[in-house]
Amino acid sequence: MTSLRRAWHQLLSSWYTRAPWWAALYARWGLAPVGAAVLPWAAPRVPFHHGRIALVTAAGVHPRSAPAFDMENPRGDASFREIPGDVAASQLMITHDYYDHAAADRDVNTVFPLERLRELAPLGVRVAPRHFGFMGHVLDAERERLTRETAPEVARRLVVDGATHAVFTPG
Amino acid sequence: MGLIAREVERHGIPTVALSVLPAATANTPAPRNVVVRFRLGQVLGEPGAVVQQRRVLWDALGAFAVITRPGGVIELPYRWKRSTYVDPLARGTGVP
Repeated sequence: MTSLRRAWHQLLSSWYTRAPWWAALYARWGLAPVGAAVLPWAAPRVPFHHGRIALVTAAGVHPRSAPAFDMENPRGDASFREIPGDVAASQLMITHDYYDHAAADRDVNTVFPLERLRELAPLGVRVAPRHFGFMGHVLDAERERLTRETAPEVARRLVVDGATHAVFTPG
Repeated sequence: MGLIAREVERHGIPTVALSVLPAATANTPAPRNVVVRFRLGQVLGEPGAVVQQRRVLWDALGAFAVITRPGGVIELPYRWKRSTYVDPLARGTGVP
């Protein structure tokens, strides 16, 4: 049953990629909105091209050596994986059944541009020592865990690392 | 993703969130949002398209200087292969 559910999600994700208006409909009508009434705001302390930039992705990226995200829980997986700033792209992989990551499997920079970020060093950009991968499909109790536990923990680690800016990428 | 960005922003670190789905951005906006009209799973561009990916990343970083109110959204002008991508590393085109 579990593998059937995973296969169904993978089939849906393939459709979403070929007909993105399906995904747009799902985003508009299938997800509970979390409005913008109380959006926090932190002004940059330094220009980005003098900053220490961290990447945070919801594309399910993680080091091959780290445990995969849980694809069995229909509510998703709110946990995160640390990604060292100096990791080789070949040591990264993707676990995520809710979008078609065939392109990102060939080049992870299509969703997690760590190599592109490193290349901006001549322009003054510095790379944070740690980056973070989430699996963007989180519902109900897992969404609660995300907002109460795992997202604040990632935020604390970024503060410890002295990150000045964070760029978020989806799957 | 907007939820995680909000938490990071609450800790004093400015964030910008890329998106290929404007509806998802409208549903759960991050403090700063950059919409790219690219395919799902390829928000930075095509596999191996180094200049395209670097350009999109650089423009996303530029949103830190452009978006000045919480929930602000900008859309990058690129249309996949139909657009020309100027490498930010090319002399005189990078630092704003």
